[in-house]
Amino acid sequence: MSSASIIPNLLTLAWLLPLVAFAVICLGCSMVQRRQGQVPYELQRRAGLLSVGAIGAATLLSFIALFVWLGTHEWTGGAHGGELHPNGPPRYYADDWYSLVEIGSLKLTLGYYVDALTVLMFAMVTFIATCVHVYALGYMHDELHEVTDHEVNVRGRHLHRPGRFHRFFQYLSLFSFSMLGIVIAGNLAMVFMFWELVGICSYFLIGFYIERHSASTAANKAFIVNRVGDFGMLIGMMALWASVGTFSFGDIPQGDKVQPGLFSQLRNESNDFALVPTVGFVSPQEESADAKYPGYWLLTIAGIGIFCGCVGKSAQFPLHVWLPDAMEGPTPVSALVHSATMVAAGVYLVGRFYPVFTPEALLVIAYTGCITLFIAATIALTATDIKRVLAYSTVSQLGYMMLALGIGGWVAGMFHLMTHAFFKSLLFLCSGSVIHAVHTNELPLMGGLRKKMPITAYTMLVGCLAIIGAGLPIAGIGLSGYYSKDAIIEQALSFAKLNGPHRVLLLAPVLGAVLTAFYMFRMWYLAFVGPPRDKHRYDHAHESPRVMTVPLLVLAFMAIAAGWNVGPLCITGLLESAQPIGTAVGAKGSLAAALTIPAESLSHAPAIKQQAGLWAFGAAALGVLLATVFYCWKVMNSSEVASTFRPIHRLLLSKWWFDELYDWVFVKPTLAIGLGIAWVDRRMIDGLIHFLARCAKWGAGIVGSIFDVRVIDGAVDGLAALTWGGAGELRKIQTGRLRQYVMFIVLGFLALTFAALGVAFAR
Amino acid sequence: MVVGALLFTCGVVCMATKRNLLGVLMGVELVLNGANLNFIALGSPYLRSVEGSLGLDGQLIALFVIVLAAAEAAVALAIALNFYNNFQTIDIDHAESLSG
Amino acid sequence: MLTSIIDHLLADTTRISLPLFYPELVLCATIVLMLLVKIFPAGEKLHSFWLALAGSLLALGLCLWRPGLSQLATLERQELFTGMLVFDGLGVFLRTLLLAFLVLFLVLTKLTHLADREDGQDFFSLVLGATLGMCLMVSANHLMTVFLAIEMASVPSYVLAGLVKGRRRASEAALKYAVYGAGAAGVMLYGISLLAGLLGTAHLPTIGDRLIAGQGAAGPGLDSGVLVALALAAIMVLVGLAFKLSAVPFHFWAPDVFEGATAEVGAFLSVASKAAALGLLIRLVAAAVPNDAPTHLIAVDSVRAQLVASSSVELSTFAPHKFLSIALAVIAAVTCTFGNIAAYVQTNIKRMLAYSTIAHAGYLIMPAAAAAQVGGAGMRDPFAAILIYAAIYLFMNLTAFAIVAFLRNSLGSEEIADYAGLWRRSPWVVVAMVVTLFSLVGIPPLAGFNAKFVALYALVAAGGPWMIALVVVACINTVISLVYYLRVAKVMIIDTPTDEAETSPAVSTAAASYLLVTTLPMIILFLFPQRLFALAQAATASLFG
Repeated sequence: MSSASIIPNLLTLAWLLPLVAFAVICLGCSMVQRRQGQVPYELQRRAGLLSVGAIGAATLLSFIALFVWLGTHEWTGGAHGGELHPNGPPRYYADDWYSLVEIGSLKLTLGYYVDALTVLMFAMVTFIATCVHVYALGYMHDELHEVTDHEVNVRGRHLHRPGRFHRFFQYLSLFSFSMLGIVIAGNLAMVFMFWELVGICSYFLIGFYIERHSASTAANKAFIVNRVGDFGMLIGMMALWASVGTFSFGDIPQGDKVQPGLFSQLRNESNDFALVPTVGFVSPQEESADAKYPGYWLLTIAGIGIFCGCVGKSAQFPLHVWLPDAMEGPTPVSALVHSATMVAAGVYLVGRFYPVFTPEALLVIAYTGCITLFIAATIALTATDIKRVLAYSTVSQLGYMMLALGIGGWVAGMFHLMTHAFFKSLLFLCSGSVIHAVHTNELPLMGGLRKKMPITAYTMLVGCLAIIGAGLPIAGIGLSGYYSKDAIIEQALSFAKLNGPHRVLLLAPVLGAVLTAFYMFRMWYLAFVGPPRDKHRYDHAHESPRVMTVPLLVLAFMAIAAGWNVGPLCITGLLESAQPIGTAVGAKGSLAAALTIPAESLSHAPAIKQQAGLWAFGAAALGVLLATVFYCWKVMNSSEVASTFRPIHRLLLSKWWFDELYDWVFVKPTLAIGLGIAWVDRRMIDGLIHFLARCAKWGAGIVGSIFDVRVIDGAVDGLAALTWGGAGELRKIQTGRLRQYVMFIVLGFLALTFAALGVAFAR
Repeated sequence: MVVGALLFTCGVVCMATKRNLLGVLMGVELVLNGANLNFIALGSPYLRSVEGSLGLDGQLIALFVIVLAAAEAAVALAIALNFYNNFQTIDIDHAESLSG
Repeated sequence: MLTSIIDHLLADTTRISLPLFYPELVLCATIVLMLLVKIFPAGEKLHSFWLALAGSLLALGLCLWRPGLSQLATLERQELFTGMLVFDGLGVFLRTLLLAFLVLFLVLTKLTHLADREDGQDFFSLVLGATLGMCLMVSANHLMTVFLAIEMASVPSYVLAGLVKGRRRASEAALKYAVYGAGAAGVMLYGISLLAGLLGTAHLPTIGDRLIAGQGAAGPGLDSGVLVALALAAIMVLVGLAFKLSAVPFHFWAPDVFEGATAEVGAFLSVASKAAALGLLIRLVAAAVPNDAPTHLIAVDSVRAQLVASSSVELSTFAPHKFLSIALAVIAAVTCTFGNIAAYVQTNIKRMLAYSTIAHAGYLIMPAAAAAQVGGAGMRDPFAAILIYAAIYLFMNLTAFAIVAFLRNSLGSEEIADYAGLWRRSPWVVVAMVVTLFSLVGIPPLAGFNAKFVALYALVAAGGPWMIALVVVACINTVISLVYYLRVAKVMIIDTPTDEAETSPAVSTAAASYLLVTTLPMIILFLFPQRLFALAQAATASLFG
């Protein structure tokens, strides 16, 4: 088996294993439930183990695939000077497995597209998923017996319900399957399918404690906001299909021919892999007129449409409102779904779809990311729920990634995606550990937990350091976040140098770095340092069991080491080898003529590297200093500052009033329109129908009594009577007398003879 | 042939009108023999030319039919005996419980 | 001269005829064996059923093996015993059908304990003898064989009808059957004599030839006197056939005989003798209507036959076939209408099934009318339709009568009203009965629909006003027949049982599995009729070379 088939096969197998676990748990437990009325807890525990086993095996297979890839493909290792990255198409394997439907020229197929990015993402997603699965075995142990939900009131008492351990792992397995489906997908339609599937899994997982009103509302919100984004994605998909005629990313071999995919058609070797709209994009008006850039607008809009979907999925402005509410789900869900994987799916799609974005679309992406990272960072400053802080931090970091991708830093953005996955999931799992210990999410009720939960505290510290990008700029070593954040700021600097008017795209990440450092350490200090603010909870706090702390340690290790190059394992190198077709040289905007997107290799220039490194370090240091001043040394009082800047503080505390705005602009009008339509339906339409019904009944009564009864029934009854009468008469023929029978032989014969003779003589 | 036709008609009339079961069976025999006579007559070379007549086939068929008639008569008589055992009469008009 | 004749006869008999005659020979041997074995004390203990079953299975196997159903289409037509019998695809098909039915029938009689140990050999030898006669009927090639075979099939049936000793009705039924049958056979014999005498031959293919030659431009014409006599003869032969088929107005024996005889014998009569009679009908119509069938004439001085092609004739000038088709059409229409309407008021299920048999005979004759009208090679499809209908009819009627037999054993009654509430006792028996009833009506998705459809399609394909009228009559009759068939189902399912306490199953498991075996084909033949259709077409194709 060549590497062409072994890697896709390994990844396919790794992808399908969680589905098998899901199917087994779902069907098996439902059968047991039907027979016994309730799934026994021992079986539920085994279901969880099955899920863990499946994802663990998937991790193993993904890593094997990664090593096979490393072994069979050359890669450019590590950092290098400012030389250009190769511009041609990266090494990939693409094929279709199965054709779902073919309507006319629209072919919806299931297929794969495997390049270095896919292999890396597989390894990352499965690895983190395994850690989260193992963690969840411990975290969800409450579900292994009857649960008393204190947040739900049923007739004045708390809700008692049986535990649902197996359901959790069932949904986790399904989610893993869906997420890996997005990663391996070879065409946009399949991405969309699994996009929706991931959304559904997120709905199930957020609303796991479905009896809680807050949780079910949050699940609804997540799904609906996602759908708004998907609307834009559909428009983009339609535009693409109408113009290009295919959804596939790569070239699909069909017999001896090769059907070109999206990338090959839009970035042709004849144009030096520059993005040139194909003939399908050119509208009739543009054809005749001497249009400057035929088809360009449509291509840009297609790109922005696809990006809309990513806005929804990755919680970018303005569709970011669902992610903080999604923290209603259990912490493992937040760790896996809402920090490392599902929200990363949006970034991943932008990265996968990169060659099709025009520079103008990329600019839109960059600005969206910029705005997002700023707003989210500011809200995180004042959040008091530990998970909300992390949630806004996630939104902010996603903004970083979008920004990086938008300004041409493909490698930087994807690199940050990977490192972020590690340390954000680590942070969430640590927060879960804390919540598990003190039974509250609120930071003001915590404090001084460092002594009680050392492992959690210090691994969380590692996570905080990673997210702020702690490292030594001169020596060039640091935690994983150091490398990725630096890469982003390098690219921002390179971009700002070429595009003066868009300098804000450089200031925002730097300012964001300050804010990030501030709120992360604020969180850490509030939770782990200082005197405990709630004695009762502090006394009950204890370190989490090993099944929860071991994943923390593993992830902490990865958070530290992900940026290092260990032999062939170099994430940057692999990513560079997967650089999408034609994007390595940067681009010049056509509609926005002044826009120049720099090639990423330019950002490796020593001058830029040093400057960016210093800026990043400075920003992080400033943020940490401020946080320490406020919360560790308590030199300045945070509440005083808050009261000084009361309007701003209120703005931040109410999350920039986005929820209220959406409620007023969208939710209430929709409900009002719904009520109005219901009134119209009830009064007018129903009234009309009732009236018509009365008329029909009256008419039918008349018709029925006259026509139906007399005529039709009469005919039928008459016919029946005729038949029965005939039968009675015929019965009399059969007299039972033999002589009569024989007589009838003679008579019959004579009759036939006369008939024959009559016919004969008539001729 | 005429005799054959005569026998045939007599037999049919007998079958159709006789009340006595044995009389009916005699009528059956008459019919069969009338047909037999027909066979022989039609097989004769004097009725038609040699190629156009039944020839020896007629005689052979008549032989077979005689045997067959005898077998049939035997069976019919056995059935008549059975009938007598059950009904104590050979008046076939009494056999009318199966009707309608 | 004599020696050469004897040599030729010997060669013909031993080398050609006998090997193709094995199944019938096996049946003969079984009868003899069954009767002889009782002489010995060891044989007395043996139930004749096993011998009969073994013999019939062997016969069936021989029929299937040489030359086998798969080679029906390429079967070469061979005349046996100097032209008395013919061996062709039609004969093989119907023979297989009859022998298969025989096997199923024997199993049925075992299950209902109809024949006990002492009388077993009588009963079985009668059954086997009747079947032997029917096998001869379907292979008949000579008018004498026709008559002989009809008698050979009918006479044992007379006895079978009255076999249950001590029952008044059985003896009355046997009497009526015997007398009526003898009368009809006598009329038929007279007709045969006239026909053979007028045309100068009793060999069926030669008759066909001479009929055509007589009417065609070539050859001497038949004057009107001869034509009248021929018509009379044909009608008389039809009388005999109509008696066997229980077609109106020669059906009077059927209701009484079916009611008087036991249900198993009713099954035998309604299926086997009808199938054989249909085979005969096909042969006679094929002989009477001009077609391009090659006729083999056996010359004295050669062992192998010579092909003599019959002269073709303008169909429009050939009046007899039109007359034949109209006659058959009228008889068919009257038969099925009469059968359906008269069945309405019946309260005895066997009598009702008798009338149903009469009605189905009407449906079965319809394609023959179409064939007579079409003539030529177009006769193939209507005849195939008859064969298909006959095959499907076998299962339908066998199941119906088997159910009646089983229920007679357990309930002791044959009145429809006594079947009330059977649903509660034996739901599967009711299911089998409902399937059979629906199939008899001709409702899809059961095989009866296929059968009716094929038959009516043959009518439509033939075209012409008479045929279309026949189609309309058939459709109306199907609708009419719904009532009395479904009335039985209604009684079984909806009516309350007279004895509510009785909840044990009405039939034994063995009987139920037998019913399953006979009911399944009705469903299977609807879903996968292709094999049957192909076989029937191949069988009739061999009629025309």
